[in-house]
Amino acid sequence: MDFSERVWCGSLRSGDAGREVLLAGWVDALRDHGEVLFVHLRDRSGIVQVVFSPQRCSAELSRAAESLKSEYCVSVRGRVENRLAGTENPNLETGAVEVFASEMEILSASDPLPFMVSEKAMAAGEREAESVAEDLRLKHRYLDLRRPSMQSNLFRRHRIFKCVRDYLDEQGFVEVETPVLTKSTPEGARDYLVPSRVHPGSFYALPQSPQLFKQLLMVGGFERYFQMARCFRDEDLRPNRQPEFTQLDIEASFIDEEFIYRLVEELACRMFAAGGVDLPRPFPRMTYREAMETMGSDRPDIRFGLRFVEATDLFRETRYGIFRQILERGGSIKGINIQGHSNSLSKNVLQNEYAKEIVPAMGAKGMTWMRVQDGKLESNIVQYFSDAERKSVLERFGAKDGDVLIMIADASPRVVISVLGQLRLHLAGRLGMIPQGVFAPLWVTEFPLFEPTDEGGVTSSHHPFTSPDRADFDPDDREGLLELKSRAYDLVVNGEELGGGSIRIHDRSLQSRIFRALGLTSGAADEKFGFFLRALDYGTPPHGGLALGMDRVVSMILGVSSIREVIAFPKNRSAQCPLTQAPSDVAREQLGELGLLDLGGGKELPGTAKKEDLLEHLSWVSRIGMDESERPALEEALAEASQLAAAVEKAETDAEPLFSVAPVKGRIRAGGEPVVSPLSESGALFANAPAMKGRFFKVAGILE
Amino acid sequence: MSGIFAYRDEGSESSGEGFLKGKSVSVQANMSVAGWPTEAGSLALKGFKAIEDATVVERLKKNGASIAGSTRMGELGFGLRGDEAARSVAEGFAAAALVTDHLGEARLAAAGAGLIGFKPSYGLVSRYGFFGLIPSMEAIGVVARSADDMALVMAAVSGTDEKDFSMPAEEAPDFKECAGQPGIKTLGWVREIADRLENGDRNAFERALERFADGGVTVVEKSFEGFDLFRTVHQVVGSVEASSAAGKYDGVRFGHRCPAGKNWNEMYLKTRGEIFGPLVKPFLFQGAYFQFTKYDVFEKACRLRGHLVREMGRLLGEADALAMPAFRGGFDPREAASVPALYDAFHFTLPASVAGLPAVCFPVGDGGPPVQIVGSRLRDAALLTLAGEWMKTTEKES
Repeated sequence: MDFSERVWCGSLRSGDAGREVLLAGWVDALRDHGEVLFVHLRDRSGIVQVVFSPQRCSAELSRAAESLKSEYCVSVRGRVENRLAGTENPNLETGAVEVFASEMEILSASDPLPFMVSEKAMAAGEREAESVAEDLRLKHRYLDLRRPSMQSNLFRRHRIFKCVRDYLDEQGFVEVETPVLTKSTPEGARDYLVPSRVHPGSFYALPQSPQLFKQLLMVGGFERYFQMARCFRDEDLRPNRQPEFTQLDIEASFIDEEFIYRLVEELACRMFAAGGVDLPRPFPRMTYREAMETMGSDRPDIRFGLRFVEATDLFRETRYGIFRQILERGGSIKGINIQGHSNSLSKNVLQNEYAKEIVPAMGAKGMTWMRVQDGKLESNIVQYFSDAERKSVLERFGAKDGDVLIMIADASPRVVISVLGQLRLHLAGRLGMIPQGVFAPLWVTEFPLFEPTDEGGVTSSHHPFTSPDRADFDPDDREGLLELKSRAYDLVVNGEELGGGSIRIHDRSLQSRIFRALGLTSGAADEKFGFFLRALDYGTPPHGGLALGMDRVVSMILGVSSIREVIAFPKNRSAQCPLTQAPSDVAREQLGELGLLDLGGGKELPGTAKKEDLLEHLSWVSRIGMDESERPALEEALAEASQLAAAVEKAETDAEPLFSVAPVKGRIRAGGEPVVSPLSESGALFANAPAMKGRFFKVAGILE
Repeated sequence: MSGIFAYRDEGSESSGEGFLKGKSVSVQANMSVAGWPTEAGSLALKGFKAIEDATVVERLKKNGASIAGSTRMGELGFGLRGDEAARSVAEGFAAAALVTDHLGEARLAAAGAGLIGFKPSYGLVSRYGFFGLIPSMEAIGVVARSADDMALVMAAVSGTDEKDFSMPAEEAPDFKECAGQPGIKTLGWVREIADRLENGDRNAFERALERFADGGVTVVEKSFEGFDLFRTVHQVVGSVEASSAAGKYDGVRFGHRCPAGKNWNEMYLKTRGEIFGPLVKPFLFQGAYFQFTKYDVFEKACRLRGHLVREMGRLLGEADALAMPAFRGGFDPREAASVPALYDAFHFTLPASVAGLPAVCFPVGDGGPPVQIVGSRLRDAALLTLAGEWMKTTEKES
């Protein structure tokens, strides 16, 4: 078959009527109307309807067409014709025409499908493709990728990437690749390690980011570098994380923050525009301190208000015991005015849901709430407030009738901020205060350079190469160090951190003082970062940069629920690949060749083809814990089971497996309609539960 | 009565009219009676109060019976250690007791107390509201003083229940007209089984067979190689099913919860580590062993089960029922506290459980040990008729 004259399925329009065309693609859907067979033929451009009609094609072709099934790969030659009036399909871009087949060749047949690939209904009123379990999609990702929505996601990802490369190229940036096999960093607890066969017992690490290499490229005089870098992090499971991800890595020399802001704002606008989204410019900026104090987050969502109001000073003299005790212990009180929502937040909701269930789960001991009616505060505790306190609360919160005020008081100001921050998001979601289709970018700046450690020292908030905002600090003054700001910045959109970066330290003596502040001797610093520090000794230019998580950026632009929708072959939520079954055991021989077998000190290694302790394994897979004292009895039980297994293996039979002596054919509950059990409605079903949370069984978190 | 009942409600008189009016029936603590604690002798159900009646309880009440109480039981009704169901009948608190039968518990509980014990055909009695451990073998059995009472209880509780999806659509035998059904005229006995008995037990079993023959039943000798396979198959299939069926005991919706679990996995691991006792836990580990590391063995055991069911069918095609010993000398089922000890003690009752056949166990007089009669599926009523006749003969003697 000569495909050179092939025409895209999705390109055909009325104007093509009368053309003889050659199409190739997959059978998206079939509809058999007795003698006439309608086939939706799909290629990556779209779908067109192909008609096999006995009036128009040979008996042989009709017979061949009858054997078609979903996802057969075929080529078809035929004539484009306008559809009869009234039979157009508005769901298809090609819905005005159809192609009458005169020749057809089955290029490749398909087995029955594990799930439906077709997403377009053949006729109005038919059901669209049903949702498919994600692991099943990932297991057959090659089929899932045929679906128009996945094709569109990856095409648009390509567009966005292309626009990034075009823009940075215009700006004089050079794309340079940095190594994937590199050195494990000292803090590299989350590194993926790669054993070296030629250096037995030694390991490369996969990069968590090309941080040091991009700085070395600045030392190397490239001045403007970027890379679509693949990064790897063996982190704990979180819903929207991938062990490997794509990061747009940028670094430039002889620049300052303003250069980065200008560059990245223009870049972000172009990327979002490629997805049809206009971002407002310039992006507002907010200090870390303001973000925390008014929204309780270092990546605040500024699409809605609900900013915090400081109330600590209003209650300095209070008689209300709970507040007084909290303030005596150095605590703070902050609140939020939820304007005009007293109808949606009843006393019952505020007291029984928020104060008793939701807020304690967020980490605070309680919540104070007040509703404003007839110019007065109403709640279960305002009776303990003095007149002056009531008045000052109304004033400070700017409260009007119909408003609801909530306050969190806690001995720890951090708890107040963290809980109010969570409440802010919870309330905004519940009350529908988050505008849809709006994108609100924000630069968060002036992060603290250091964070306190439990041991009484300090540690870097970002990394030790981030430049402080001033150089005149005393590396031994802990309080002073904690006051220092860094020249770091984060780009946040709609409460999600898309990326961040900083201006780096290029001065060797400043770098030494930072290490001293961190409690690293020069020897220790050399041991950790030696090759990099030596590079700083040879005329390093001032430089800085930023990295953007591209999977996250693309999924936000496309408005998809998960970053897995914009990655061709992602891992699932458990960081496994259902398609290839990675990660997997490897053969002992392979480990032997890599010199890994004796690393465990002679013990059997986990993850090798032979499992460790059978008892531990069974205890884990069946989630039944055991004490040391129970081991002997359980070991005996396993010994008995293994004898039973031997007896079963020895016995001979030709019988079919019997799972029940009185099998039941599928039974369907009478009535057909799903109903909620009255025992559930009355709450009786929950009466025996050891722990409940609202109307849900309460269990421990998946992660600690 | 001390120690017989886990829970009684003296005020719970049945208001129903019916053929069980005036009869009192006890249930075990794993059969739901609305509002009663239903802990099944296990921490897995600690504090659990049933929220509705099990179908068997509802049917007993509907036909006029009162529920005498819920009897104490061993962990999840696996074995007879700590089980008091038979005592509730022997000491006169109830005319009959419902007893969970995983391995032969109903039969051996009765045998130890001079009562009739019965395990119905698999699938004949609804398990809605019942907590069992081995779904493809377990049955709600009956222990009673007389075969007549037993037949009345069976008449009440048997038959399809739309709430129990595991029940095949079959018509239950007519237990009210036991006598009207074809009787048992030939009794087979299997030489290889009898060969397993010690001398004294063997003699007693042979005397019982002679008495059946004297009573006009044709007694025929049969042969069946591979009797030991019943135990192997029961333990492999039973433990796998138990491991799976016990998955619901997680301390989330009911039962004891270990408070120390810091995360989801730890909560399950610790809770389930605590709720299973020294008898059930090793059994669950054996099930996990086959299920997760030797699945082919489980599947092969199911093939062997098919073979055994076929062989039992062959034997029951050649005789109306099979006579088997019940007790095995030197193995007290009430003392069995480990999995191998249990299987040793229940050696002779396993075939009916594996093959889902009805089996009745009753004393045949002459001071000898009770005998077990196993019939074809759904010939339950005929077994009770036979038991009734022999109980009457025995009573006349004494």
